[in-house]
Amino acid sequence: MSTKTANPLAGEFELNLDRPLTAYWLAILRVVTGWWFFHAGVTKLIEDGLAFGYAPMYLKGMTGTALGPIPVWMGTNLAWLVEPAVPLFETLIGLALMLGVLTRLASVGGVMFMTLFWVGNAGFGHGLVNGDLMGLMLFATMIVVGAGRYYGVDAVLERTEFVKQRPRLRYLLG
Amino acid sequence: MKSNIETIDKAAMALSGGLMLLGIVVLGFVELLDGAPYGAAPVTNDAGEVVATPMVDPALRTGLVLLGMAVLLVWGLYRYTVPPMDVDEATATEMTAD
Repeated sequence: MSTKTANPLAGEFELNLDRPLTAYWLAILRVVTGWWFFHAGVTKLIEDGLAFGYAPMYLKGMTGTALGPIPVWMGTNLAWLVEPAVPLFETLIGLALMLGVLTRLASVGGVMFMTLFWVGNAGFGHGLVNGDLMGLMLFATMIVVGAGRYYGVDAVLERTEFVKQRPRLRYLLG
Repeated sequence: MKSNIETIDKAAMALSGGLMLLGIVVLGFVELLDGAPYGAAPVTNDAGEVVATPMVDPALRTGLVLLGMAVLLVWGLYRYTVPPMDVDEATATEMTAD
């Protein structure tokens, strides 16, 4: 006679990354996070093209933060690069996440953006844990779990011979 | 471990995911393609008057997302009362000892 106790949390309801519920939810999170960035980027592209002048201004205003003089220096000396890079990379990061292509690489970009938003917005009126930090954590989660493997193109790419022969690519895909 | 996912589980995931993605992504694209305002907030002029409103009512979009969440909640409650059948147990056959 079986002595197994029925466990309603067993099977697909436990937090193993290969379980259907976890895969489903990670895919939803990835697409929603991707849409968030895609929308932010593409609306800047529609309204300002590749000349998003607010970006260098924002960076120049980041004085006295944990990032030291780096953002101010970037806003002052790299304005020509920052202006097109912000809308372009937000859009590309968003697209990559929605499709699940190069998910980890794109998410690293997302972490960089969110770091600048979190540190730069800096009001911290409701504490250090705010929406920007949550966004940063979301992108970090995409990297940790390799969210592109769940209903994403990376799942297909990782099965190709090209990637199998170059396993380090899985640090960029996944 | 084999998956013991059932049709109702697949249906719940598809319905809730579909509703949430419809509210956030699909109607978001519709809003984008419709032109300004590209987001869910109306456009106002310097005097604070609304000069353009979103094509899709934000209440509809948020409602769809909440409905998707509600499906997840109902599914969770259902699974709390009717646990999925354990695959190992379902396929196990009783053997007599020699």
